[in-house]
Amino acid sequence: MGSDPGLRLVRSREPNDVDALVGRVAVGDSDAFSRLYDAVAASVYGVARRVVRDPERAEDVAQDVFLEVWRKAPSFNDARGSAKTWILTIAHRRAVDAVRRNESQKKYDGRASVDEVTREEPLDGLIEAEEHGAVRDCLETLTSLQLESVRLAYFNGYTYPEVATLLDKPLPTIKTRMRDGLIRLRDCLEGAR
Amino acid sequence: MSTDVHTLAGAYALDALSPEEAAQFRQHLDVCESCRIEVREFQKAAAQMGAAEAVTPPPDLKARVMALADRTPQLPPRTSEGPTAAPATGSTPGPTPGPGAGPDSGPTIASIEAHRGQPAGTSRRWTTWLAVAAAAVVLVGGGALGARALLDDSDAGLAAAPVQVFEAQDAQTATVETRNGGELTVAVSPSRKEMAVDTRELPALDDEHVYQIWSVQDDGTTVDVAILDDPGSGAAMGLPEQGTQVAVTVEPKGGSEQPTTDPVAQVDPYAV
Repeated sequence: MGSDPGLRLVRSREPNDVDALVGRVAVGDSDAFSRLYDAVAASVYGVARRVVRDPERAEDVAQDVFLEVWRKAPSFNDARGSAKTWILTIAHRRAVDAVRRNESQKKYDGRASVDEVTREEPLDGLIEAEEHGAVRDCLETLTSLQLESVRLAYFNGYTYPEVATLLDKPLPTIKTRMRDGLIRLRDCLEGAR
Repeated sequence: MSTDVHTLAGAYALDALSPEEAAQFRQHLDVCESCRIEVREFQKAAAQMGAAEAVTPPPDLKARVMALADRTPQLPPRTSEGPTAAPATGSTPGPTPGPGAGPDSGPTIASIEAHRGQPAGTSRRWTTWLAVAAAAVVLVGGGALGARALLDDSDAGLAAAPVQVFEAQDAQTATVETRNGGELTVAVSPSRKEMAVDTRELPALDDEHVYQIWSVQDDGTTVDVAILDDPGSGAAMGLPEQGTQVAVTVEPKGGSEQPTTDPVAQVDPYAV
């Protein structure tokens, strides 16, 4: 009974769950922080893993993300977006920072080829399976240049000038493709709800 | 800023801008509501893309996170939109000149110093900069490795290690937004006569630049305090005399004898 997967799906679709937990974390509720961890740890760690790749460094990134969430929860403003977006935005920024710090020692070491970027990695099947499917479907609506631009930036931590170099395209083209790609992704995901 | 600045919203939401460009774009966001909305929507879409990569973390991560949170103070809520309510003279929005900014870029520590004609380093009045704790944990909840080291060796003997200042019973903390789009958190402990800075939220710099901390005395004299080779470590220091402020600048690698750029942040410890 405790392993009924249906329960998880229902919980993960509860839109205000993470927002409510962050509200309680904001007043120092460590029980809420524990539940918040359970609710978003896989997403946070997953982003860190995808971007920094090394599992141990990804753990360090995830740990720093949760401490930042703990420290800053009192100033979280839900008028600016959902708590989950807030947390994943922190996770991505920290993961990218970690990659760029490391890259200052060795840049362009062939860490990411475009082939690698488009490779699908196995997903943790239990969590938010429906949302994953929607994201995958929606990413397919992007042109290949939009998709590559978005993924090289988001999943590999490249700056847009680096993406332009890797894809051998002019800077303005890449800037535009990133924006257009996100517009398509956004519109598609909104339509999917 | 160029007219196609809107197109940067996508790259910004993907964290694909350099720290300097990101700071510039944030300034643009202050005056462009449609850009703010677009960035918010893009960040939501990007977050969904990220969440689709969920991977269950190793089970021991949670225990570490909970233990660290337990010993980490929370920041005070912001009282308004925009710049934080924290006292800081360096947090006003405005362009951030890079190294080599022209002499007409407004009043700077460097220009005040030039006016005063004080030789560098002759008036080191901060008594004890005990530690720019390179290997440590510096800040509350400091870098992950440091934090583990702290748990393993919680009494490392660094009297002024930043984490100890942040954890002091009477510690007052304030967070200021820096001019280059980051944050600097300051803790002051009058009982310990120490202060500390959490520098982990400063934007990463390229290989050729470092953050440098200065004390700025009430007569405008600037004194080198520390070069932050690793902003992930923060710094702890003796509490300066009243009237002395603490400033952070971006300097060429190796640091400078006197500041060569406008401070990205300047804080009066007695107003924290």
